[in-house]
Amino acid sequence: MKWNQRIFGTSVLAGMLLLAGCYGGGGEAEKDSSAGTGDKAASSGKQVLHLAAGGEIPTLQTNGSMDGLSQTVLQNVVEGLFRLDQNDKVVPGVIDDYEVSEDGLHYTFKLKQDALWSNGEPTTAHDFVYAWKKALHPDTVSPHAYLMGAIKGADGIQDPDSPSYGKVDELGVKAADDYTLEVELENAVPYFTELLSHPVFYPQPEEYVKSQGDKYALEADTMVYNGPFVLSSWDHDAKWVLKKNDQYWDQDTVQLDEVEVKVTKDTATEVNLYETDTVDVANLSSEFIDVYQDSDEYNTSLKSEVYFMRINQRNEQLQNTNIRKALDMGWDKEQATKMILKNGAIPAYFLVFPGFVELPDGADFRDAYGDLNKGTIEDAQALWQKGLDELGVQELTFEMLSYDDEQRKSVAEFMKNQLEKNLPGLTIKINQQPNKQKIDLEANQDYDLSYSGWRNDVADPVEFLTVFQSDGAYNWQDFKNDRYDEILKKAQTDFTDEMGRYKELQEAENILIGEEAAISPLYQAGSARLIKPYVKGFAAHGNSTFTYKWTTVEK
Amino acid sequence: MRMDDAELHDELFELSGEEGRKKQARASVPSTSYWKDSWGRLRKNKGAFAGLIMIGLILFLAVAGPYMNSHGFDDQNLEHANLPPKVPGLEKISWLGMSGADIRGVDQYEAKAVEDYYWFGTDSLGRDIWTRIWEGTRISLYIAFLAAALDLVLGVAYGSISAYYGGRVDNVMQRIIEVLIGIPSLIVVILLILVLQPGIISITLAMVITGWVNMARIVRGQVLKLKNQEFVLASRTLGAGDARLMGGHLIPNTLGPIIITTMFTIPTAIFTEAFLSFIGLGLQPPIASLGTLVNDGFKMMKIYPHLLMFSSIIISLIMVSFNLLGDGLRDSLDPRMRK
Amino acid sequence: MKKYVFSRFGYMLFTFLLIATFTFFLMHTLPGSPFNDERLSAAQKAMMAKRYGLDEPLAVQYFKYLGNLLAGDLGVSFQFDGRSVTSIIGERIGVSAILGAQSLIAGTVLGLLLGIIAALKHNTFLDYGSMIIAVLGLSIPNFVFAGLLQYWVGVRLQWLPVAFWEGFEYSILPTIALAAFVVATIARFMRNEMLDVLGNDYIVTARAKGIRESLLIIRHALRNAMIPIVTILGPLAVSLMTGTLVVEQIFSIPGLGEQFVKSILTNDYPVIMGVTLFYSFFFILIVFVVDILYVLIDPRIRLTGGGSRANG
Repeated sequence: MKWNQRIFGTSVLAGMLLLAGCYGGGGEAEKDSSAGTGDKAASSGKQVLHLAAGGEIPTLQTNGSMDGLSQTVLQNVVEGLFRLDQNDKVVPGVIDDYEVSEDGLHYTFKLKQDALWSNGEPTTAHDFVYAWKKALHPDTVSPHAYLMGAIKGADGIQDPDSPSYGKVDELGVKAADDYTLEVELENAVPYFTELLSHPVFYPQPEEYVKSQGDKYALEADTMVYNGPFVLSSWDHDAKWVLKKNDQYWDQDTVQLDEVEVKVTKDTATEVNLYETDTVDVANLSSEFIDVYQDSDEYNTSLKSEVYFMRINQRNEQLQNTNIRKALDMGWDKEQATKMILKNGAIPAYFLVFPGFVELPDGADFRDAYGDLNKGTIEDAQALWQKGLDELGVQELTFEMLSYDDEQRKSVAEFMKNQLEKNLPGLTIKINQQPNKQKIDLEANQDYDLSYSGWRNDVADPVEFLTVFQSDGAYNWQDFKNDRYDEILKKAQTDFTDEMGRYKELQEAENILIGEEAAISPLYQAGSARLIKPYVKGFAAHGNSTFTYKWTTVEK
Repeated sequence: MRMDDAELHDELFELSGEEGRKKQARASVPSTSYWKDSWGRLRKNKGAFAGLIMIGLILFLAVAGPYMNSHGFDDQNLEHANLPPKVPGLEKISWLGMSGADIRGVDQYEAKAVEDYYWFGTDSLGRDIWTRIWEGTRISLYIAFLAAALDLVLGVAYGSISAYYGGRVDNVMQRIIEVLIGIPSLIVVILLILVLQPGIISITLAMVITGWVNMARIVRGQVLKLKNQEFVLASRTLGAGDARLMGGHLIPNTLGPIIITTMFTIPTAIFTEAFLSFIGLGLQPPIASLGTLVNDGFKMMKIYPHLLMFSSIIISLIMVSFNLLGDGLRDSLDPRMRK
Repeated sequence: MKKYVFSRFGYMLFTFLLIATFTFFLMHTLPGSPFNDERLSAAQKAMMAKRYGLDEPLAVQYFKYLGNLLAGDLGVSFQFDGRSVTSIIGERIGVSAILGAQSLIAGTVLGLLLGIIAALKHNTFLDYGSMIIAVLGLSIPNFVFAGLLQYWVGVRLQWLPVAFWEGFEYSILPTIALAAFVVATIARFMRNEMLDVLGNDYIVTARAKGIRESLLIIRHALRNAMIPIVTILGPLAVSLMTGTLVVEQIFSIPGLGEQFVKSILTNDYPVIMGVTLFYSFFFILIVFVVDILYVLIDPRIRLTGGGSRANG
């Protein structure tokens, strides 16, 4: 018995010792946080911006799978040929100048000679060639490689059935000398420079990357930087710090000394941290908007993201145009944006949102056809009845796929409720799924209606419209219209008549929504945030990324 | 020891016929007066009795509550969104928070020109919280009872068989349990819900698949403790079979822990469901459970506290009631406390 | 005894293999794919799948995984490009372990105290008081409790940090939020067990023999009442994991729990496997230790399992 007791006692003791050892981890973290509670450190004259991010940075490799957070960090620490400015316009990055050939197929970029990596090496044309080829090579292929489709040979390299599959040397890009980059395009896409602002086109210094092997860009000190900031520390899943890059060619513009980003996994926590002055900017979900919407610190911005309902025409009942139109028209989009989302989102009667494309004659792309398929509830009911009669049924039941986050969940519930109320005989079953699972169901066309969205990469209507090309990779709804396909095909290869191209694309959008109601546009997304009054020039881009280059903190 | 037993009762002792059997049965199965006694003791236990009444009341409201006003559980009206509670009669008492005034003191009913009364207020889609809470309670209790019942049946059967037979049987059964307990239940629950599609049944099943193990382990532990005690040995000596020993002696004497565990299972199931809502794997809207309601309210805690308040009060009341009742039942059912 | 421990250890390994297999195949029945993104076409998805070896038959992937596992290689995460699963677990487990252990210890100690007091002062004000605390601890969903703590103590009163993990004071609120459940569970169980034991004949006899009350309680009552507590400590430690997940999210703590759910929702297979195996190993170990302890502290239980039959 004594023996037993001793063993019991020893094991308890051992357990406690083990714990004491563990706590060292916490102590280390403590030393790390010299900044402590925000503004005290900043009052020493240094400009420090305190931010919260929703999670760990997924990747800092330009050929990795980047989300908004990865892109945000990358575009602040690395600079490509172009970058987005405060107003989402494309401005030159590490180049002095560039030339485009007459036919729009050949680009020649002249790189700055003073754009240095943080290890002192210059940013050269070879760095771009290396990074782009890497993003296309099957062993290191980037999920964003589709953006490179405009470059000559890129599609073949990605196509396993093509003879040039994987042969990245056939890519139409070369370094004429250290500071001259030549790119050859497949088609004379007018938005090529815009594409180049995306991080997948950022450079990677080959020699350095190879010297780091597997470790490249996994830690703050296994990566080099040529952007406005350098990543000075990266405490995984907890915190990272950006410091002003004193090698940066445009360092005079950069006012911030430091950006400290802490991982904050919950919106409520982020708001609480904002209230206790621990962070300077807090992103708000709709639940918090009522609390703060009258505050001076409250800001909203529109995202270049449009949400729409995919209507799956594999379901025979949904092949009926009147039914589809009724579903689009039969609920109040205004109310959804004003009273549920409340974050500056606007109701959509379009796919290509207003202000997105300006035509050569100064008009907006939207002006020609105006609001598509907008009507009253009575109109919707008439169409619905007509549709039901054509189908010879009294009742219809559809399953609607939806997102699982609070905000979009409420919109889905509202849509269901409104449609069922306004369209007699309709039953909608909501099936909300985590995003990865939802996309699976969409791609397999295992749904009737799906609350879905699309974000653009460049300001061209084809960005949105190609999604519904009948042979397109994302047309997960069996929509097919010959005229539509014809216009889209032409619009991606023939750029000779700019005005004529836009006119046709306007027609295509009208076919898609006005005539066919192949999709039901819902709204253009907005985002709301709180920004402390002493933070100025905080650039929130439409693609949900941020740039701190022009930000100042003046207390 | 076992072998000795077998020798003893099989060969040396003859039972005194049918009469003796009956007598023995009566002695070992708790008699009616036992249950009467228990009921008497339970009634004297104020906490447990209060819990019982509370559960009755909540059950009644879960059934009848949604029909007590004219609002349906999915009747949306964005004009009436986020209204604070207002109850006729109680609206005059300002400190009660039933006057229709929000946290800033503005009477939202006046501001929005609303004639209706929403007893518990409305949510962001203008739905009546009273109706939704009782509908949600119904769903939550349904999930909890189903899960608890399945846990109970599986766990008790498994645990008592494993402990009673011991040896190779116990060994094999414990290995199986070890595999199950070794898998973090969370992963099974989440994976299963994703595979089966979120819904009432999938959530219940996912919880049961991992939940019964706990019951089985507890029952096994108790039976192991009991099976070599004198009264069991005595009964065995008198010729009681396996089934009688288990059903007549071992399980009744394990009732305390079983009831307590079940009283834990119900809250655990309700909480697990709430937790699943928290990580976004709750029920499909518009169906609500207490879990989804608490979770929705949680996010609005700062500006519309009524959304969180009522749902969490109800969920807590359910927990408290089951716990009180469980404690009371244990005290009153435990045969060893009979004096 | 030795034989028993060894054979139990063998079973542990076997259990571990079963769990690995079970999780591997269950995980692959998950709908969705790690490379699902609105912008990825089927062809590009196929290319990504090939890059990570997901295009091979499941059985081949399974044996490859087992092979790598034996070599100590848990693979590379999909959601965090190029980051090894080992480093992901390594970076986060310390924090989760501290949080969990701190809560378990604090909660158990407090729970035992409450339970013992309640039992010794059965049906008195102290009994009711302890049980009210215990019942309340079980009655509020942990995320609500954590959220309220954060808002009132962190934002309103500003006594303790709102979030993050940067020192001991940062761990207080999360620990309280987690420990509430432990306190409640242990206190209730302890009370019941103590009452049970105190009603037993040998206690009555001992008391009649005139043993000092304090000695009686410590020597006889406590010891026997603790036995079932040992059995629930294992499951309790396991259930803390659910709690750490919630608490880690609300207090933005860089632990493993939150990462785990995220890896499932993003079909990050290597991380799902890695974390599941890690936790399983830990749980199996707990069960093992608890069983050994159980045998050690309760002399009435003879070893009838595991091949060594004490009484045959």
